[in-house]
Amino acid sequence: MSGSVTVARSLDQALDALRSGPDARLVAGGTDLMVEVNAGRWQPGTLVSVDRAPELRGWHRDGDEIVLGSGLTYAEMERGELARLVPALAQAARTVGSPQIRNAGTLGGNVVTASPAGDTLPVLTALDAVVQIAGPEGTRISPLREFVRGVKRTDLRAGEVVTAVRVPALRGAQEFLKVGTRNAMVISVVMVAVVVDLDGHTVRVGVGSAAPVPVRAPLAEEYVGALVDWERARMDDPTGEVAAQFGELVAQATSPIDDHRSTAAYRRRAVAVCAARAVRRAFQEPESP
Amino acid sequence: MNDVVRPVMQDAVAAAPTRVDGRDKVTGRARYAVEHPVEDVVWAWPVTSTVAKGRVTEIDASEANGTEGVIAVLTHANAPRLGETDDAELQLLQSDRVAYRGQVCALVVGETVESARAGADAVRVRYDEAEHDVVLDARHPAMFTPEKVNPGFPTDTSIGDPDTAFAVAAVQLDATYTTPTEHNHAMEPHATTASWGADGTLTLYDSNQGSTGVARVMADLFGLQVRAVHVISEHVGGGFGSKGTPRPNIVLAAMAAQAVGRPVRLALGRQHMFSLVGYRTPTIQRLRLGATTDGVLRSLVHDVWEQTSTLDDFAEQTAVISRMLYAAPARRTTHRLVRLDVPTPSWMRAPGEAPGSFALESAMDELAAACDLDPVELRVRNEPDVDPESGKPFSSRNLVACLREGARRFGWEQRDPTPGVRRDGRWLVGTGVASSTYPARTAPSQARMSIGSDGVVTVELNAVDIGTGSRTALTQIAAEAMDLPTDRVRLRIGDSTLPPAMIAGGSMGLTSWGSAIVKGARQLRELVGRRDGAIPEDGLEVTADTAEEVRAVSGYARHAFGAQFCEVRVDADTGEVRVPRLLGVFAVGRVINARTARSQLVGGMTMGLSMALHEEGVVDVQHGDNVNHDLAGYHIAAHADVADVDAMWLEEHDEHLNLVGAKGIGEIGIVGTAAAVANAVHHATGVRVRDLPIRVDRLLGRG
Repeated sequence: MSGSVTVARSLDQALDALRSGPDARLVAGGTDLMVEVNAGRWQPGTLVSVDRAPELRGWHRDGDEIVLGSGLTYAEMERGELARLVPALAQAARTVGSPQIRNAGTLGGNVVTASPAGDTLPVLTALDAVVQIAGPEGTRISPLREFVRGVKRTDLRAGEVVTAVRVPALRGAQEFLKVGTRNAMVISVVMVAVVVDLDGHTVRVGVGSAAPVPVRAPLAEEYVGALVDWERARMDDPTGEVAAQFGELVAQATSPIDDHRSTAAYRRRAVAVCAARAVRRAFQEPESP
Repeated sequence: MNDVVRPVMQDAVAAAPTRVDGRDKVTGRARYAVEHPVEDVVWAWPVTSTVAKGRVTEIDASEANGTEGVIAVLTHANAPRLGETDDAELQLLQSDRVAYRGQVCALVVGETVESARAGADAVRVRYDEAEHDVVLDARHPAMFTPEKVNPGFPTDTSIGDPDTAFAVAAVQLDATYTTPTEHNHAMEPHATTASWGADGTLTLYDSNQGSTGVARVMADLFGLQVRAVHVISEHVGGGFGSKGTPRPNIVLAAMAAQAVGRPVRLALGRQHMFSLVGYRTPTIQRLRLGATTDGVLRSLVHDVWEQTSTLDDFAEQTAVISRMLYAAPARRTTHRLVRLDVPTPSWMRAPGEAPGSFALESAMDELAAACDLDPVELRVRNEPDVDPESGKPFSSRNLVACLREGARRFGWEQRDPTPGVRRDGRWLVGTGVASSTYPARTAPSQARMSIGSDGVVTVELNAVDIGTGSRTALTQIAAEAMDLPTDRVRLRIGDSTLPPAMIAGGSMGLTSWGSAIVKGARQLRELVGRRDGAIPEDGLEVTADTAEEVRAVSGYARHAFGAQFCEVRVDADTGEVRVPRLLGVFAVGRVINARTARSQLVGGMTMGLSMALHEEGVVDVQHGDNVNHDLAGYHIAAHADVADVDAMWLEEHDEHLNLVGAKGIGEIGIVGTAAAVANAVHHATGVRVRDLPIRVDRLLGRG
């Protein structure tokens, strides 16, 4: 068996190594790649390890935006200043796998794998994230909604590396909810992220595991956005009807399937429940001190 | 009947000795089957069939043979011929027939595990594929009546006229329950290191639940004398029944070692285990309970339909629990089996009682509701005086005491029986109960005991510690029987050259091994006594055999009992089920080590919780495969699913069991748990789930 691993200590080294051949593949945490290897779907050939390339690690502020390195681990998303800035991403990260998996798995890996059940994707979708890419032709950007093209299909071309994901730093509540067939270490049945932009006067929703790609629900967003009192950042919904209607509209934006984890009918219902719950939480009165 | 004294409390657990091999295990010094250093060792990896039925027409190994590091590719065309045994699953690479998807059709030997796997990926197999049949259906035209059910119970039993008794009963319950295919995967996969000596002897480091039988089967397969086969199983990382008999790994490793003339290691991959190491059959169970308005059973009928393979008949004894748990003057149990194009099912923790209790104990809960009776009280009213089918007295039977003590500790008395009315925010809250039981059996075993002039006692028998703590408990039994501190006892187990002993299975390991040790200790002390305590330079030695004691059946029905109480919270909108509280109270005879015993009971209950909420082998009808043949898809409970699981036991003295006075605890913990959970879900939501697992979509879909 032939195979090689290049440990790239910089982005340039990674790009160079990728030029070695079309079968070269990047590996960061390996939490998706090793599943493919174990399932016999891919035989390790030329691997380019990028977990030691400093350009891809960590995160930083860039004006109104946050630049999340593609090598950012779930464990790093879970806590600290970043968890305060993008709380829905922290909530999503906390639901991923086990602590060992969260120490290894990365944001870039989640984006590039482009699984319908990728746990960060509903949040990134709601945030209108933009993917930064470096390649043989230089750098380019691709909005996430264009980058993810289908089930495990992306816009990434030969020789390219996702270097970062840019999301806006928003003022407003964020929620992430996930239903699975057990309480942890689970591939989701459905996921819903709700992000409030108090300055832009929008409520944005991203849904996962309910369509081939993460989806937004523009009708639902417009409906609830028009009913929010943006000055007070409150949603007047004493009977819960608004939240319920929002949930229904979000569910209508999905196209779930039956599989061994659940049924399409259940997924639609769970999306509606989670979306309603998320929007209620996002606009609930702050706890009295 | 024996008086029940106080329940054993936490301080007993705290006072119990810790595991004698604990330090070796946590520091990695303990060696498992493929960790023993062996010179010049190579690795093997199986190629498994990708069709569910047919014949192999061609195996193209040219690319595999050209793969770097590959030493050999074995197929039915070139593999060594094997002798006959009664396990058809072990006739590996002996024919071109494919009996199920995932069956071994080639074996690649490589210098490393990676090269063997790469070679296996490169083997091309062509088939003449036949139409397969993999779906269990009670109306399947090929259903038949097996000769017996595991391990030797009558297939059907009948007393009185249960049909008429049911027809005239004031309260009738007729319900059908199903359980899916379930898999028992230990943390350590099935694994073997095999090497042949120049003198034709075969040495096997193997992960199994008892190597006495493994050595015998391997001798038969390879045409050897049993003494030419040496199986070493010093440490084993779990079994749950799936390592109770030899599995393909040991046969393949020995074949490969023979073929290449070098020692071979083979550890099955997790995905292989979904087809190669047994599993629990799916079951369809119809329960008919006829009772008086005050809940006294007049008729109890339990009919079971389940599957086996086309290779071998394995019939799980699913309805056997209904033969002894409750009184009823008219009763019947039946088992029907169908041979499908699937792997052969086998032992999984509490075969029979685990799935059977789900149906029986759910039905009892339904009957309690129909009679407007508390489910604990219903069970008490149907307590038999003697074993209902055999008429034998119970050696001890403390089911009612377990129910009462559990109810008291759980706070059952305040329970409002109305389903679907307790709400805490978005959560619907409910509680449920179920009985547990498991046979208390002992099997013949031998133990060699010797004492040296230094006063140290050496105990040797082919017991095995599969992670349960038996090494620790046996050391305690020996020390107590010899009236010595435990540090004066040396225990040797896990080696087929030691005196033959029972497997770690059927909850019979500790009782069988312990009895041999107690008998040996008596003989040894007598010998020492006859010499007035003077031990000669080369020591004294005895070998005890309990065959006679075990044969001398004393006419009692022997069973362990328990009661499990469960609280669930069900999300009213999503149907997600959480289990904040699970309590088991058991009566299991004498407990040797409270620490490891509690661990076994809590482990069984956790597995039962997993069975209730998660475990489901999904059949791929089109391809005859398991859809979820890995642990990412086949879910067992995660830590976050297991909150407060507690187990305790009543002090129980039973003279009629064995020389240890214990009933065995490996399996009873899983019996009844799933029903307790389902009954609690019904209490919480009003939805009766009769098909496991209790999936969110099933729960909401029928609400």
